[in-house]
Amino acid sequence: MEGLLEGTDHLERELAPEPVAGPAMGSFALHAILIASVVSYGMLSGLFRHSVWGNQGGGAMQVNLVSSAIPLPNNQPVNQNVLTTEKPSKAPVAPSPKTEQKVDETAIPIQGKQVKPQKQTTQKTPPQPAPKTDNTARYGEQSGTPIPRASQQSIGSVGQTAVGDSDFASMFGWYVRQINAKMGSTWYKREVDPRTPTGARTYLFFTISRDGTVSGIRLDRSSGSPTLDQSCIRAAQRVDSFGALPPSYNKSTLMVSYYCEY
Amino acid sequence: MKSFLRLLPVILLCQICLPAPSLAAQDWVHTGTNLGNQVIRLAAADFKPVGSDPQTTALKAVFDATLYSDLGNAGIFDLVSKSMAPQSMPGSPQEIVLSQWAAPPASASMVGFGSFGISNGRLTVYGFLFDTSNTTNPQVLGKQYNEAASEDMARTIAHRFADEIIARLGGGVNGIAETKIYFVSNRTGTKEIWSMDYDGENQHQVTHLGTISISPRIAPDNSRVAFSSLGREGWSIRMYSLELGRMVSFPGGTAGGSNLSPAWTSDGTRIAFSSSRSGNSEIWAADASGGNVHKITTLAGPNVSPVWNPRTNAQIAFVGGRTSEPQIYTMNQDGSNIQRMTDSGYAVSPSWHPNGGLLAFSWNRKYGPGDPGGQDIYVFEIATMHWLQVTHQSGNNDFPSWSPDGRHLVFQRKLGGRTQIWTMLADGTHQQQLTKAGDNSMPNWSWK
Repeated sequence: MEGLLEGTDHLERELAPEPVAGPAMGSFALHAILIASVVSYGMLSGLFRHSVWGNQGGGAMQVNLVSSAIPLPNNQPVNQNVLTTEKPSKAPVAPSPKTEQKVDETAIPIQGKQVKPQKQTTQKTPPQPAPKTDNTARYGEQSGTPIPRASQQSIGSVGQTAVGDSDFASMFGWYVRQINAKMGSTWYKREVDPRTPTGARTYLFFTISRDGTVSGIRLDRSSGSPTLDQSCIRAAQRVDSFGALPPSYNKSTLMVSYYCEY
Repeated sequence: MKSFLRLLPVILLCQICLPAPSLAAQDWVHTGTNLGNQVIRLAAADFKPVGSDPQTTALKAVFDATLYSDLGNAGIFDLVSKSMAPQSMPGSPQEIVLSQWAAPPASASMVGFGSFGISNGRLTVYGFLFDTSNTTNPQVLGKQYNEAASEDMARTIAHRFADEIIARLGGGVNGIAETKIYFVSNRTGTKEIWSMDYDGENQHQVTHLGTISISPRIAPDNSRVAFSSLGREGWSIRMYSLELGRMVSFPGGTAGGSNLSPAWTSDGTRIAFSSSRSGNSEIWAADASGGNVHKITTLAGPNVSPVWNPRTNAQIAFVGGRTSEPQIYTMNQDGSNIQRMTDSGYAVSPSWHPNGGLLAFSWNRKYGPGDPGGQDIYVFEIATMHWLQVTHQSGNNDFPSWSPDGRHLVFQRKLGGRTQIWTMLADGTHQQQLTKAGDNSMPNWSWK
């Protein structure tokens, strides 16, 4: 019986509620302080917003303008890269077309004299001069077929006058340089996928009218990289005008075959 | 009929033949990237004096100096210094030795040269441009000028010849050597509209109103100058005809309140300006004759300094004050599609680039108490929201205005308490002070 009484006593003691109010109030107070501090921090920082004037909004940002909108010239050195290798060889030192032929003359004896190059095989491999000469092909070089100067004369198909002068590039080299300069400034190389192999080339056709405007842009030979093809086409499309064709050029339009090399 | 039949094979043959000649009527050029793209190195030879007129020496000195500075100002040439150039003064294609100019130290790829003579009070100038790398066909340009002999004409001929060279070698962009700059000057005591050549020469007063006249804007055809002037009715838009040499009426520009900062469309048919005639300062537009006045914006805060997109004439950039500091906005000409361009700071006085892609404006990016940043000129690409700071740490710069070739900016710079007009290339180089007397401000570059 006593044991039972002790048991009920124990049970009552067990069932009696623990003191919840004190800790709960403490918890409420702590949370209230936390919330109040967060809210007041937000309000205070909002009130004193002027202290962070300046770079807050992320709308505009400073970079160098890549656009070709400002028609100022940009200096691009001649790209001496060989198609397959990263490091340019020492062979074609002079970039001018006059010395280019000298390079050829020196290149041929090297191939002829088999003894000397074999000593330097580690540095100057024989196949390198061959792609080099490809790469330095200039606009002045054209296939040997002479182009008649006037349509009337070619109907007769006999008398073609001034065949040697008919080459646009040799007569108006300054205009070809202008095409290069303009296309160089409108071609954004960063549009090209960086996985494109260095030296990949895409070829375009386009027509320049007398006033210098561009029309009939089409892809001649794809490089295999769609981004490179696209960027080259866009470069031609961005050109408003190459400048009026030379007045002494007596034909209506000029056809251009242009390549972009990554 | 029989003769026709007899001719038929010939006609058919001709029709087969014809496409071939039409294809051959063009030349082919094969070129590409990586062939080098150097800035053209140009030499400007002193012109050869012809004749024994005593004026020749003085006028030729003006001519040579003007031509040299025009070509240098163009910003597209690597100009051969006079001290590096050969001593010879070739006067004609027969006299020039191209190898002399192509060799170092000149190393020129192009040479401008010619002869300069005076006879019977007339200037006769022959100008040539030769390509030194092309020995068979070196001539790029040959020009002849004949004008009355005066210092002004010597300068004008030099400007024209320089513009010919720049147009030929500048990639389809015409030169600016014959353009003018209109600006406000107080050198007579009151603020009047003045004009000068683009290089700061030939400064003269345009208006003589005796009140305050500001923000001149030259019409695209150089016929009229619109500006705002303080009169009995407050600030009003007024118009000065350069052809008539007197004020002409602009009825839409005078109404209650302030009417400020007119702006022409590039076709010269409409003018936008800011007016507070309806209470708040808003953007209004009118015909060039001053009729058909209508309101474009109905926005909170003052909206001022409109400028049209010269490429489309369908958009307006302006300064809006709906936030606490003025910012640059663009909108369509009917007031729709308002876009905020600048995100912070204090941005005013927009000028729209001739090709429509860029804005130039004056911006104080760190505007606010305790942060007095400099007010500098910025060039802003609208499509990408990218900007480029073009002036750095030199005075307060304001009121940029694009040159018609889009390569130059003219602006006012306040340095040491004096405000003067400066020009520079749009990348911030080649800065030059054009004015010295009095205080000069609010420059506006003519359209051609």
